[in-house]
Amino acid sequence: MEEQLRKLNREYAFNLSEAEIQAITRRAEEFERLFSCLYEVDLSDTTPLLKLDKRP
Amino acid sequence: MAVDAIAATISELAPLLRRKKISPVELTRLYLERAKRLNPHLNAYTTLTEEQALADAARAEREIHQSLYRGPLHGIPFSIKDNLSTRGIRTTAGSKILADWVPDFDATAVQRVKAAGAILLGKTNMHEWALGGTTINPFYGTTHNPWNVDYIAGGSSGGSAAAVAADLCLASIGTDSAQSVRNPASMCGIVGLKPTYGRVSQFGTVAGTGAYSTNHIGLLTRTVEDCALVLQTIAGHDPKDPLSAHAPVPNFSLGIGKAVKGMKVGILRGYFDAFIAKEVSASVCQAVAALNSLGMQTEEVTTPHLDLIPAIKVCTSRVENAAAHDPYLRTKANEYSKATLHSYIAALLTPATTYVMAQRARRIVCDEFDELLKRVQLLILPTIGFPVPTIEQCQAGYVEFDGKKIPRQDCRGGLESFCCIPFNVTGLPAISLCCGFSQSGLPLGLQIVAGSFQEPLLFQVAHAYERLTEWYRRRPALPA
Repeated sequence: MEEQLRKLNREYAFNLSEAEIQAITRRAEEFERLFSCLYEVDLSDTTPLLKLDKRP
Repeated sequence: MAVDAIAATISELAPLLRRKKISPVELTRLYLERAKRLNPHLNAYTTLTEEQALADAARAEREIHQSLYRGPLHGIPFSIKDNLSTRGIRTTAGSKILADWVPDFDATAVQRVKAAGAILLGKTNMHEWALGGTTINPFYGTTHNPWNVDYIAGGSSGGSAAAVAADLCLASIGTDSAQSVRNPASMCGIVGLKPTYGRVSQFGTVAGTGAYSTNHIGLLTRTVEDCALVLQTIAGHDPKDPLSAHAPVPNFSLGIGKAVKGMKVGILRGYFDAFIAKEVSASVCQAVAALNSLGMQTEEVTTPHLDLIPAIKVCTSRVENAAAHDPYLRTKANEYSKATLHSYIAALLTPATTYVMAQRARRIVCDEFDELLKRVQLLILPTIGFPVPTIEQCQAGYVEFDGKKIPRQDCRGGLESFCCIPFNVTGLPAISLCCGFSQSGLPLGLQIVAGSFQEPLLFQVAHAYERLTEWYRRRPALPA
């Protein structure tokens, strides 16, 4: 995660400090843990919902 | 003026305007004077458009005198959140990046209220890029709660809610991607509606101030009846917005005043229960008792995959927003506040596969809510789980209730959004209205939710509750 962030930092020229890189890495890791539940559900027959176009 | 125009609602003023008992110019002047006097204390408006408002009011007056009455919004002063494009008026999205942006077009919702003859008084303050629930804005200042200026007004449409609650306009149009209309409406003691996804065109909403999957245009008004009147004006398909629905637009006021006896209401339980304060719980219990007294049947309900909602919401919103911000992130990164910038950068690290998994899981959650809403007609839950925090608490990063001090945010977002996000993920219509006051004297909000495109039912029940409890009659003590 940290390496990916360092690459982004160069590509986007964010000029992040070392402390900022550590803080953002921690946040991204928290997101990763939060999203892990999405991989624990059986979604094998489920297509993505990309447009809520319900009609009454 | 024949009535107390500052205390009156749209539904009370509209017939008086139509019968020429009230002058749109006088009404507009009254609201502008009040806005100019109180805004330095509240910081609800970022821009007041006095000259244009008076010109529009003069035109409304001429038209009404020529019997060219356009409808219940004709001559009504309103405001617009600063992330909805307004032709010839600065539209900042609460950001430094767009500080000087003056669009040459109106958002569809703005265009529709203007066409109905409403008078735009100005643009309201908001959280930076709508990414937060406090309206503590590093570039345009903090919006203060009209009930007590030491407290936040909520957000991200905090300026809109404060303006309506403090009688600095009669209605406001905002946006809601996680909570952003219902949260400030709850904190300021007014009505906030997030309609069904697609009900109102999002054309002209500043990109990056709400995710494509979860953002909605919403309304803030003093009463449920007013909310139905404004929705009537802005609802309907818009060819400029491919995500707007083709659903027919019913008469939203049709059910107002009708009996609600026999309806089934589910009290929604879920992951957010751990963050509900005792006094909020007590006020919801009282609301349940009130609904029971109207003859409604209540039962506790939940859905099997409700716990997935924070992950779905955070993943879809953060990724979609980061995509919208990509050009600015590459060229103007130093013009974001650090907190906002870090949030978008962290979102850039989310794998595309995770985003697709979130959208797949969203279908499961939506299907489960649709099933649940076959068993009960409506759902209720608090709008926010705890009483309004102070500005100082939010700046220090915590909220305090039931003797506990809790970080105001975690990776799921602001705690105040937890009860609201299920309906951004599902797109179901949800309304917040006042259900009492905390020990600190700030309003508490009840959220009522219906099936897709069932806004008339939502208004029917919300109105019945509002008229029974009369919380809406309480007003903040501000200088006259």
